[in-house]
Amino acid sequence: MRELTILAKYPFLQDTRQFIKENGPSIDELLYNPPYERARIIGIERLDNALKHRDVGSRSLASESDCIMEILSYPLARMVAVCIGDPYFKKRYALGEASHMYKQLLNESTSFLLSIAKELDVTVQYNTEKNTIKIFFKNYLRNAPTRYKEWKIVNRGIRNGFLSVSHKDLARILLESLRKRINKELVTRKCDSNVYDLFSSDIKRFQYTLATQQKKMEATPVGKISVEKLPPCMTEVLAAIQSGENVPHMGRFSLVAFLSSLKLSTAEILKLFSTAPDYQEDKTKYQVEHITGASSSTEYKCPGCEKMRTYGICPVDKMDDLCKKIRHPLSYYNNKWKQEKQKP
Amino acid sequence: MRTGNSVQKSLEFLKNTFQTYYASNKVKLPERFGRREFAFVLFGGKGMVRHLGFDKSELLQEFLSERGAQHAYYSSAYYQYPTAPKMVEKNWLGAELIFDLDSDHLPNAEQMGYVESLLAVKKEFIKLIDDFLLGDFGFKEKYMELYFSGGRGYHCHVKDPAILDLDSNERREIVDYITGRDLQDSLIFHEQATGRKRYGGHSFTSGKSLKMPTPDQDGWKGRISRGIIDLVYEIKKSDNPQKRLEEYGVSVRDAERLVAELSEERMRRIQDGMLDQSKTIRKFFLNSALRKTAVALTAGETDEPVTCDVKRLIRLPSSLHGKTGLKVVKINIDELKEFNPLRDAVVLPEDPVRIALQKSVNIQMNNQHFHLENSDQEVPSYLAVFLIGRKQAILL
Repeated sequence: MRELTILAKYPFLQDTRQFIKENGPSIDELLYNPPYERARIIGIERLDNALKHRDVGSRSLASESDCIMEILSYPLARMVAVCIGDPYFKKRYALGEASHMYKQLLNESTSFLLSIAKELDVTVQYNTEKNTIKIFFKNYLRNAPTRYKEWKIVNRGIRNGFLSVSHKDLARILLESLRKRINKELVTRKCDSNVYDLFSSDIKRFQYTLATQQKKMEATPVGKISVEKLPPCMTEVLAAIQSGENVPHMGRFSLVAFLSSLKLSTAEILKLFSTAPDYQEDKTKYQVEHITGASSSTEYKCPGCEKMRTYGICPVDKMDDLCKKIRHPLSYYNNKWKQEKQKP
Repeated sequence: MRTGNSVQKSLEFLKNTFQTYYASNKVKLPERFGRREFAFVLFGGKGMVRHLGFDKSELLQEFLSERGAQHAYYSSAYYQYPTAPKMVEKNWLGAELIFDLDSDHLPNAEQMGYVESLLAVKKEFIKLIDDFLLGDFGFKEKYMELYFSGGRGYHCHVKDPAILDLDSNERREIVDYITGRDLQDSLIFHEQATGRKRYGGHSFTSGKSLKMPTPDQDGWKGRISRGIIDLVYEIKKSDNPQKRLEEYGVSVRDAERLVAELSEERMRRIQDGMLDQSKTIRKFFLNSALRKTAVALTAGETDEPVTCDVKRLIRLPSSLHGKTGLKVVKINIDELKEFNPLRDAVVLPEDPVRIALQKSVNIQMNNQHFHLENSDQEVPSYLAVFLIGRKQAILL
């Protein structure tokens, strides 16, 4: 068994769970007995911190009692998170726990880091002589932020299925792995009615905050489509279609899905295509309706920037400054609207 | 004059030949075939017959011999309900990792003939298998199945249990690696100070040299390094190095300078990772080495990578390709280099058939040379199917 402070710092560990099982209070005691009031307060603090600061936060772990309260606050926080019910909140809380672990792992020894990797089912190889860490490519693909160029496998070394990573890189990968694990666990659990009753005022407070945030997000302008605000990729595809060039399937698909997300009707989309020399109304109509979900079971979404680059639709040489800040063509369009609104 | 009737007769002939073949030759079913979707293009049929399932191999055999499918496909994915008519209802459980290399994807495919383009695509395929899948990703041979597509390319199915549940973004990352997309040149080349000077109390770097990775490094670093070294030797050894460089798109001025500088000593320095070259030349090296060593999976314009699609239909192994009559044959890794589609994938009978050729044909098939004038000819069935399927002939 690990030391108590380790269990308190990393409350998601199997050892911590074991510790609570062997030494901890029953669930009723945890919820209602006065000695655990502090654990209950810390539990809510974890959630507040996760929502506000993306990190569940650190507290003093000087005494044994400090550690035990910290340990017990973790299952409490999780139970409350499940009762809040909002999927975004669960993700946010999972991220808060995972980022907190990340920051602490940066100061741990390599052997401790490796033991956490094992616990999170991340396959690593450690070469003691050269002090190098290698990670199995599948775990890397699953958890590394490959949307950033420096994280793409192409810009790293890989041999025999393993990639070399630094201590910090591995900690970052474990962050994502833990975030996914906690989120998955929260999604599958059901709310306990005793927990709901006991924490109902906090739960309602969180739900209210989330609802106000949601409203703010929805207020973003969409408005009537404005060609000047289209991102370079869509401008290219649209110009090519209208001048009768042969546009790859993926290009046409992306444009239709993009326009459909901007709430353009099938008729309006068809109008844009109708200037193409090879335009066939019935065929185009069928395809457009399929993409917009009018005649199929799925409403397809426009691919993100990364996907567009892979399919060769992103005109890399025509990217502007806004392109570099966003990851999805729709964000480009929305951003342009916002910019215009801010102008006096 | 070709009448509609003879076109119809040609189609009938293909259909009969395929039906006879499937009646006496077993098609090997993919693993988990009960969880796969099957799809067919039928002779003379419109579009594709989809969402079919077979729980017994005899039923598939029966279907093929009765209907004589022109093209047969199965889903690389396996589903809980493979025959559900809507994709969302099928409930995706996993999919093999598929690589589909087609000669269409090659930059200058149009100028090449059938045999030549297949050779070129095989070269890419070998690179994919040896360097990337076996080497870098370390897939085990037992999890890899290679097939001739029956048409203009090769397929590789990776069945490693570790990759079956990869989503399409994760597969895209593998494709990006194999095609060298987003390779950052600052990670490959870096400048190194060659000396230091002191002015007053401060020290400054003086003189810079461009370093590149050494050939033994992992991943793209080593690959680019090996590519550059090969390239330098190739240029040096050619009869007219300067012209060769210009063919690669280097400006006349830069080519002159580069050739003048390629001394024996300089070649040695390059092998040790010292490039000491200007920016334009560094760019030329990176781009050329990248093109040389990456796998041409996409033409970048019209074709999407099959690999990223987790719900793709792929040609059924050991079925016949409707445009060639060649079999989708499995190739052992150690036999890949020697594989010759016009010898090793010929399975249709020899029985003579009379056809009318649209233009003269010169082809080696099934170990025989055929020099055929553009007139009426008697040829073996396998060749007749090949030529009719490729619209170079019709049945008489």
